[in-house]
Amino acid sequence: MATSVMSRGGQITYCTYYFTCYSCRLFAFHKPQQHFIHTSVSLDVNKNWDRKNLQVFPPQQPGEAQRPAEVHHCRRQIKYSKDKMWYLAKMIRGMTIDEALTQLQFNDKKGAKIMKEVILEAQEMAVRNHNVEYKSNLYVAESFSNKGKYLKRIRYHGRGMCGVMDKVHCHYFVKLVEGPPPKVEQKTGFDQAKEYVEQLKSRTIIHSL
Amino acid sequence: RHGCEGSLMMPHTLCRHHLQASLDVRFPLPFVVPVRTKKRFFVPPSTKIKAKMTASQDQEANTRAAGFVIRQEYMERSINIACTAGVFDPYIPPEGDARLSSLSREGLKQRTQQIKQGAASQLAIRKIKEHDPEFTAKSFAVKAQEIFVEAHDSLTQFNKEKLHSLVTERCYPEMVRGNRYKTLRWRFVESLEPPKVVHARCPDMVTKGNLYGQVTVRMHSRQTLAIYDRFGRLMMGSEEEPRDVLEYLVLERHLINPYGMWRLHGKIVPAWAPAKEPVVKTIMIPGPELKPGEEFEELNYEVPKPKAVQWHK
Repeated sequence: MATSVMSRGGQITYCTYYFTCYSCRLFAFHKPQQHFIHTSVSLDVNKNWDRKNLQVFPPQQPGEAQRPAEVHHCRRQIKYSKDKMWYLAKMIRGMTIDEALTQLQFNDKKGAKIMKEVILEAQEMAVRNHNVEYKSNLYVAESFSNKGKYLKRIRYHGRGMCGVMDKVHCHYFVKLVEGPPPKVEQKTGFDQAKEYVEQLKSRTIIHSL
Repeated sequence: RHGCEGSLMMPHTLCRHHLQASLDVRFPLPFVVPVRTKKRFFVPPSTKIKAKMTASQDQEANTRAAGFVIRQEYMERSINIACTAGVFDPYIPPEGDARLSSLSREGLKQRTQQIKQGAASQLAIRKIKEHDPEFTAKSFAVKAQEIFVEAHDSLTQFNKEKLHSLVTERCYPEMVRGNRYKTLRWRFVESLEPPKVVHARCPDMVTKGNLYGQVTVRMHSRQTLAIYDRFGRLMMGSEEEPRDVLEYLVLERHLINPYGMWRLHGKIVPAWAPAKEPVVKTIMIPGPELKPGEEFEELNYEVPKPKAVQWHK
């Protein structure tokens, strides 16, 4: 039994030829059309964020400072606006994981519930797969949202005019790092003013005596 | 161009040659072709399937009338099973093995028991010698240790092909599971006692003649093991401190197959083996469900210890 691929006018069909003991070609039966190609809508999805979890670092020497564990997680095609999601993502940047979860739990926005699920999933992954010791010892290092694939619909205006209505979707990405969150230096107004004055004082006039 | 016809269904840029670059990437994309979902108001006559179906049915009727009988085609795919699913009649190591010196009374008793191997083992070794005339207990024990060392070395380098040739399909997932994104550092320092064949069995699977040989080898050696996680932090063990290890390895071979090879099939862990060293990090063990109002400290909950049962890995 031999198979051969024939491309006939663009369509690929697989035909099987049966051989008997007389080794003569008998008949060609058309099997119900078997297409061995996978048809899908989106080809060019960027999976770089998930691949960051597969990066392996070489073993550290005993003298080196311990590398903190990092977990990358994301959720794709959330039915929410990327601009509305940005507000929540910006809010939790730099918070400890417990603080972030409490804030999201008591936030009224729709995206808050989804973000909370994502962060809990990431925490679970960190403890189970990425050798994180204490599940509360994590903080949100990076958190951002961007545009997903939009569905387009017709928006009917007055006077028989039409417009394009985008059904918006967004992706949400989060990176959790082990350890206490880095302290952001709080600059008071007085410090800023002092700096400004020093900047003015340190100016020089070029080509002067 | 390179000979691929552009057509309505498959645009030229997405033909196999253009996608070759993406296939060479570390995580290759499947061969996916987008299908245009535009509704066609004019259906060309060639896509009408009904005429074709009737034509094929006529053809089939003609062939049957002519007398040619075509055997029914089975949509089957043959699988080759090269190893058994477990250890048959596992060896039960005597208690206190390698702890008593040969000079004490108990040690002598153990030695005498070990020397006269069971009759079934002798029969099995005889059967193995029928299929593999060069098999001797002493030479095989040495070979078994070599296979063990090579298998673990290729596990640290993660050389898949070599590992598959040294280790059976049943043992491979147990060795490899969970280690994909970890770094293993393993070293065989020295062998404390010469390896010895202690047990052999020749089970036959499914049909009577399908013989597999399973031989258990006792090995007392010194090894170092250190496991680092994805970020290079030490998870378990240490690289400098060697440990004395007593192991019972099970090797298997498909005797009937002339190209069969002796491969590591599993390990036997006796019931009296000491507990494994704990991992460096702290782990949460799920505790009992508390009713509202109960306190955990008052319950005096004891962490359940696993039963001391022999198991083979």
